Amino acid sequence: MRKALFRVLLVVAAAVMVVLPSCTQPSFQSSTTQTSTLTFSWSQDVGSLNPHRYGPSQMFAQDLVYEPLVTYDRGGKIQPALAESWKVSPDGKLITFQLRKGVQFSDGTPFNAAAAKANFDQILQNRKEHDWLGLVQEIDRVEIFGDRTLQMYLKNPYYPVLQELTLIRPVRFLSPKAFPDEGTTAKGIKTPIGTGPWTLADYRKDTYAVFKRNENYWGQKPALEQVTVKIIPDSETRVLAFERNEVDLIYGSDEISLDAFRQLRDSGQYIAEVSPPLNTRALSINSSRGATKDLKVRQAIQHSVNKDAIVAAIFYNTEQRADTYFSKEVPYANVGLRPYAYDVDRAKALLDEAGWKQRAGQAIRQKDGQSLMLDLSFGGDNKVDRAIAEAIQADLKIVGIDAKLLGEEKQAWRERQASGEFNLIFNETWGPPYEPQAIVSSMRVATHADYAAQQGLSMKAEIDRKIGAVLTTINKEQRQQLYRDIFTTLHEQAVYLPISYSTNIAVLHKNLSGFEFMPQAYQVPINKLSKSKPQHSL
Amino acid sequence: MKLTNHYIFRRSLQLIPVLLGISIVAFLLLQLMPSDPAVVVLRAAETPTTPEAIADMREKLGLNRPLLIQYVDWLWHVLRLDFGQSFVTGKPVLQEVMNYLPTTLMLMSCTIMLIFIVSLPIGILAALYRDTVFDQVSRLFAYVGVSMPSFWLGFLLLYVFSFKLGWFSVISRGSIVDWVLPSITLAFAPAAVYARLLRGSMLESLNQNYVLYARARGLSERLVVLQYALKNALLPVVTVFGLNFAHLLAGTLVVENVFALPGLGRFAVQSILNRDYPMIQCYVCLTAVLFVGVNFIVDLTYGYFDPRIRFGKQEL
Repeated sequence: MRKALFRVLLVVAAAVMVVLPSCTQPSFQSSTTQTSTLTFSWSQDVGSLNPHRYGPSQMFAQDLVYEPLVTYDRGGKIQPALAESWKVSPDGKLITFQLRKGVQFSDGTPFNAAAAKANFDQILQNRKEHDWLGLVQEIDRVEIFGDRTLQMYLKNPYYPVLQELTLIRPVRFLSPKAFPDEGTTAKGIKTPIGTGPWTLADYRKDTYAVFKRNENYWGQKPALEQVTVKIIPDSETRVLAFERNEVDLIYGSDEISLDAFRQLRDSGQYIAEVSPPLNTRALSINSSRGATKDLKVRQAIQHSVNKDAIVAAIFYNTEQRADTYFSKEVPYANVGLRPYAYDVDRAKALLDEAGWKQRAGQAIRQKDGQSLMLDLSFGGDNKVDRAIAEAIQADLKIVGIDAKLLGEEKQAWRERQASGEFNLIFNETWGPPYEPQAIVSSMRVATHADYAAQQGLSMKAEIDRKIGAVLTTINKEQRQQLYRDIFTTLHEQAVYLPISYSTNIAVLHKNLSGFEFMPQAYQVPINKLSKSKPQHSL
Repeated sequence: MKLTNHYIFRRSLQLIPVLLGISIVAFLLLQLMPSDPAVVVLRAAETPTTPEAIADMREKLGLNRPLLIQYVDWLWHVLRLDFGQSFVTGKPVLQEVMNYLPTTLMLMSCTIMLIFIVSLPIGILAALYRDTVFDQVSRLFAYVGVSMPSFWLGFLLLYVFSFKLGWFSVISRGSIVDWVLPSITLAFAPAAVYARLLRGSMLESLNQNYVLYARARGLSERLVVLQYALKNALLPVVTVFGLNFAHLLAGTLVVENVFALPGLGRFAVQSILNRDYPMIQCYVCLTAVLFVGVNFIVDLTYGYFDPRIRFGKQEL
């Protein structure tokens, strides 16, 4: 009897191991065998895809569906998109756009001047939401003539209008039929319908989003018919899915770890690329709080961080060392600033001059009985920033500064940026086409770390005045001169500690061709990709 | 029969203060959070947080009323399943939660099934064949089970069964097969523990007089083991299961992340990071009610396993 029972139970236990796995289809179609579909993975849900709003919608997905009047090309060149041509009036306060003929939204509604104006009106009704963006604040009104002419009147001759029209949000165009019945698009939209090369075909929150090619697209149609975005929060799972051919493309800066990237690249089985520099990883140094009020302390910090070591150890040299807050590639930013070299002795001398003395046997400098302690804040879920923070902490220790690491979740970290309760805080720049004008403009707004960091500078009012002037001057030499002044002051005052110029990384299977990096950091280059049968069999 | 009803009734009455307590804690969470809800709503709408805007929003959210009024008002809405609107998406909270609940319930059911399918036979056999090779192997299984972190186990399973063997796809494909690896991951540790626990209590009850008596009556060994020994031995296992249910729910987060499943755990963490207070409150209430509900069912099964509980203090 016992034997019989034993057998029965053994069978049940074995069933778990045998029956369940054999439920699977023995060979499923892996995504790379279909040449018309591409599977891409992303860590977060794509969101509601409202073109006039921000998070939680993902920028790359908004960029697939919606288009701007003009696009941003490498090096800051402005190219026509929904606007075929444009003319800026001599006083810089009126821009006349000729809209492209024969463009339709993917629901068949024609894209004409009236539709464009309707979108502008929605955005302008919610100016407050977009107060970080000079463009929206500067638009006075939009008028139309006939079917294809759109006139944009500005309050001031705001020079970066065209650059800011290229942004992924908020000035892109939604079909008027998708506007909400009540209220504005700020409250929500009916469906995401744009003019772009892709349309949203299927969507399940936090699971997937399927984009189909827009067959009515006015421009060069994508070679692929369908792009499936799978939401995979875990980066290691993403790598496994990629290696299993279930994902065709990994793209972005934080989507997989650099260790995984290096491993995939070194395997030689895939195409692994690093983009040109996009934006600056930097820390803001608070000039209005504690020991960092002192210029000498801020300069000492600049000299004591070994950026080359950070770039080599953390980024495996996939990024370049940054010496200035804006890279020389950024328009108007090549103004010949002298970098702060890595120089421990110089840092120690500066701290001595500032009165922070290191007594024998003490690791941390003191002044008037106070230890030299600094708060270094970073987003706790950002592994890269954490690693950099630890490296900086070790470097500062060498010169006798005790850095206290504050790793908090994102929201708390953002609040700290706004409130200024930090000595050092991570604060990336936003990359093209936001640089330099949008960032410089935001330096005047109290919700940004830049503002808090500069608050203690005696010349802050002067900086703000120059920022106001630089954005509205129509004289190019004068503009360059003003930018030179602003950048030089900020650099000399040492309120930013640039670390490196960050990059996007991409890993793709070898059966994909036509890959190239996009000029904007948050665009994913799907349009030009094409796919052939895989060379290797599974 | 009347007495049984009485027991269930008594037990249900006890739920009321528990649920009330939960509601108070969930409500007070909002007051204890570090950020002002008004500021969070404004920030979610990308509106500048000027003092006037904050004051307006506090008024609109009713945060200026006395705490008690706020609580009663909130509770009244919650009783009608109205948890308010998400700060981030602006949609009703319950609707958002319903997106995620099926995944988690499915994962939990598969896991619980798996736990019992695995731990019952192993526990019984390990007790019946005490100190044999099988017993030693089950002991090893227990050690491995409790010491293996679930994110690591999940990743290993993915690596072996999806990547190396190709039995499963890494990304879920919307079929029943998707649940196999996640539920194995989640069930592994509890199954190991329960098997061990069951073995202990089985050994104890096999030594009881009533088992000896049953054997003396000449009943079949199967009947003795399943009906007499197992039924009594299950009592501690079921108790621990009820208490560990919360642990299991918390464990879903890791598994949902590794296997890219859109479940409640991920949703909860996202809501916490976004400071989406109504969603957090709804999550707290929901999981608390689930936990209380499972324990209620567990308590009722005591009555089945041990009639003495059903009949109160009355001796048999």
